[in-house]
Amino acid sequence: MNDLFEDFDDISELAEGLDDPSVGTRIMAVIELADNADPAAIPYLSKAITDEDAGVRKQAALALTNFDGPETAAALVSALKDSDSAVIEAATVSLKELKDPASGDAILPHLRDEDDIALTACLSGIKELRRTEAMGPAIEALQRASVDVRVQAVGVIGWLQDEGSLPALRSATKDQDVLVRRTALAALGFSKSEHAEATLIEGLSDPEWLAREAAAETLAKSGSAESISNLRAALQDDFWQVRLKAVRSLGKLGATEAAMEIGPMMDLPIPNLRKECAAVLGELAVQETLPFLQKYEDDADPDVRKNVRWALGKLAA
Amino acid sequence: MDEILDGLTQIDCDILIIGGGTAGPMAALKAKKANPTANVVLLDKANVKRSGAISMGMDGLNNSVIPGYATPEQYTKEITIANDGICDQSAVYRYAEECFGIIQELDSFGIRFQKDQNGEYDVKKVHHIGTYVLPMPNGDTVKKALYRQLRKARINIINRFMATRLLTGEGRIAGAICVNTRTAEFLVVRAKAVIMGLGAAGRLGLPTSGYLMGTYENPTNSGEGYSMAYHAGAGLANLECYQINPLIKDYNGPACAYVAGPMGGYTANAQGERFIECDYWSGQMMQEFFDELQGGKGPVYLKLNHLAEETVAEIERVLHIVERPTRGHFHAGRGTDYRKDMIEMHISEIGFCSGHSASGVFVDKHARTTIPGLYAAGDMANVPHNYMLGAFTNGAFAGMDAAEFIKDVDHVAFDQGEVDAERTRVLAPTKRDDGIPPNQIEYKTRRLVNDYLQPPKVTAKMELAQRRFEEVRDDMNQAMYVQDSHELMRSLEASAIMDCADMAAAASLYRTESRWGLYHNRVEYERDDENWFCHTILTKGEDGKPSHAKRAVEDYKVEIDDDEKDAYSKQRVGATVAAE
Amino acid sequence: MPLAQLQTTVPVIVDDDLCIADKGCTVCVDVCPLDVLRIAVKEDGTKTAYMKYDECWYCMPCETDCPTNAVTVNLPFLLK
Repeated sequence: MNDLFEDFDDISELAEGLDDPSVGTRIMAVIELADNADPAAIPYLSKAITDEDAGVRKQAALALTNFDGPETAAALVSALKDSDSAVIEAATVSLKELKDPASGDAILPHLRDEDDIALTACLSGIKELRRTEAMGPAIEALQRASVDVRVQAVGVIGWLQDEGSLPALRSATKDQDVLVRRTALAALGFSKSEHAEATLIEGLSDPEWLAREAAAETLAKSGSAESISNLRAALQDDFWQVRLKAVRSLGKLGATEAAMEIGPMMDLPIPNLRKECAAVLGELAVQETLPFLQKYEDDADPDVRKNVRWALGKLAA
Repeated sequence: MDEILDGLTQIDCDILIIGGGTAGPMAALKAKKANPTANVVLLDKANVKRSGAISMGMDGLNNSVIPGYATPEQYTKEITIANDGICDQSAVYRYAEECFGIIQELDSFGIRFQKDQNGEYDVKKVHHIGTYVLPMPNGDTVKKALYRQLRKARINIINRFMATRLLTGEGRIAGAICVNTRTAEFLVVRAKAVIMGLGAAGRLGLPTSGYLMGTYENPTNSGEGYSMAYHAGAGLANLECYQINPLIKDYNGPACAYVAGPMGGYTANAQGERFIECDYWSGQMMQEFFDELQGGKGPVYLKLNHLAEETVAEIERVLHIVERPTRGHFHAGRGTDYRKDMIEMHISEIGFCSGHSASGVFVDKHARTTIPGLYAAGDMANVPHNYMLGAFTNGAFAGMDAAEFIKDVDHVAFDQGEVDAERTRVLAPTKRDDGIPPNQIEYKTRRLVNDYLQPPKVTAKMELAQRRFEEVRDDMNQAMYVQDSHELMRSLEASAIMDCADMAAAASLYRTESRWGLYHNRVEYERDDENWFCHTILTKGEDGKPSHAKRAVEDYKVEIDDDEKDAYSKQRVGATVAAE
Repeated sequence: MPLAQLQTTVPVIVDDDLCIADKGCTVCVDVCPLDVLRIAVKEDGTKTAYMKYDECWYCMPCETDCPTNAVTVNLPFLLK
């Protein structure tokens, strides 16, 4: 019964295990250092991340998720150059867990790294720290050949919510890769600029539905007459996923003028879309749409039926 | 390890928290923060690192009330309607008001919630009136993040001790009796306040696979919280409102309508048609699910094969990494491809769990039970439709209130005879030379639960169940036999399961009406608001058997308009028509 | 009433060659919510983890947290 409680061991004593000749013992020492959650362990773990054994190095990279700050970040960044991919993967995950903006100090110098994998990890690590110094390197990174790098770079820019980044984001919406375009279109949501709105409207004509869907969804945050007329056009999109977001955005924007176009969409054989149309018809509450709703008051699809009845209630109110 | 040793230690603390899963750690952190000099002890029968319902993580919040997306009024209204009106709104409303603060706190722990490309919360619409679903992209790290905080706060953690009985004295809580799951040594903890966060009663019914631990809930949550509260004299509310959930058949894990729903997946019958609402789980929805399964339109499926490749890939990514990662292995083993095949679903075995229904140890908006100094939070407390965020938030309420409570009180004396009697009870299966192993006691109890307690509920069947339970209980008391301390833990769980089975039968027989859809579908009775618009409170009677009382539902804080009530009942009529 | 032995095939498999239980590692044993794993002494005197009790929720912390990827969680036969 001596060890009733979990221990709070002496960190330097635990760290002695890191010098043991046995790999297993060193791994256990890393795990114990992490479990103590005492920042005094950071220097020891920073050393363990350079251990000769890849298993120890990986465990050290994972262990550092328990800590934060520039010293932790520096150790993780150094591990991005490891010869073992499992170590790099672990360091990448741990970098994303950083919360302390000061951790960015150790990442910022690496935002022009030549290595795509390291740069992707650094960008994804700095994103949530919202360091304004990351803007310049992130915009430069949009020129890199790696899609992963460009997607992460757009993420960094979007989180900074700076109107000054608009030209870069707008050009990213014309990227050759759809994932970059989609991310950039969604990132435009913060902007109050008419240029952003114009870019989102152009996004509605993107060749890929994933990008059109992002544009349709993000336009709900804008809302001029221009957006509404283009969202109305998007109601004819070939992909129901895009139409659904257009309907949703028109509902959020209170675009009553679209109601008579949304009403007939209740007849389409796509359950998810019909469900959304019914809800939006309720939000818009345009009396002329009553017949479209009444027709489906007892629809066989319960989600549609529920939304139709809710919408009928709204129209009656 | 596992040999049975003789030993008894006694320790004192200010606040004892039993259960290190979800509610418990948050209670510990809040209590320690509110009163840094307090001696807070967090105890778990597993290891706090990976204990409880979210052992492996959680893919998102189902009931986040985030300003700009939903209001406390909307949420309270939604929960009241989903629970057929039987709901003390003050606890639900307080949760709704304060859960956003908890989200932000969890965020600061390193638990990330999905944000859009501008770093704002990305709330998905699922519930009809409001918008409550917030995905967690790194939901697999929840427990690690919590553990880190506990260590940083220097919380005293005791692992691998199972609490078996609460101690009371002078009408309030005095502590708990615990037993080591690997040595059978006893630990008596004297405490000024005790917070219970022991999770659901997940091993009440038997899953269709017949595998004892193949349950919907983490089977480590075997109902000790309900059993301990009962024996201590606390009130338990609405236990007849079972938990029954839709799930992936055989795998018995959640089908995750909350993940797949917002992305366009839905539950379909054999014709590929949607037949139930995907928005929100309720007893009514489960009744429709049950009717479809029974009515010749089944099997029932999760349908994703109409979605675009990109969407399916995203759903797979979320479903197969977080919460129940073996789900991917399961589908791979059977050659099921979401792109081509629909996934067979079923309904779960019954259980108690306020996470998805409305039953549990009765608590108020401070998480106080009916015993002074005793608190309950999470799946075992009766705040309805708690989910994970409810466990965190109500756990926080319990921790804060307990920190206040202990300021003015000292340890209270308890009867040493209770400790002696409990040691005798616990160790009895170790004193025999042979007998019935706990897994057989448990199997039989749970098989009887399936045979006689599963809805639709029939009076004669439930009365038969009570007789059979009595026989198994006698066998358990007279002849249960364990070989090591691990089996001893299982024997104690078997005993808690038996208590829960008794309570489930008694509570179901007491409420002579039907309510909450399938959860309390008593075929001989209609819904009866005149006599049963109330909580039922079960306590341990003088004769040692369950005793019952009605308790009025608190006056509503958020009124439910008549037309809203009508809209919902109208829907039910429609649903019945559609099922024909 | 004497007890019989009942054989079951267990879902959690440990690769002895990778397992470092001999170095004092008990990670998988510690993290199991159902406490079904134990450390065994092999014929050569070294130690390895193994599944002692067939009471598995196939929840995966043992596999995920194992520092040497020695643990594999399969689905229990009865429900796979």
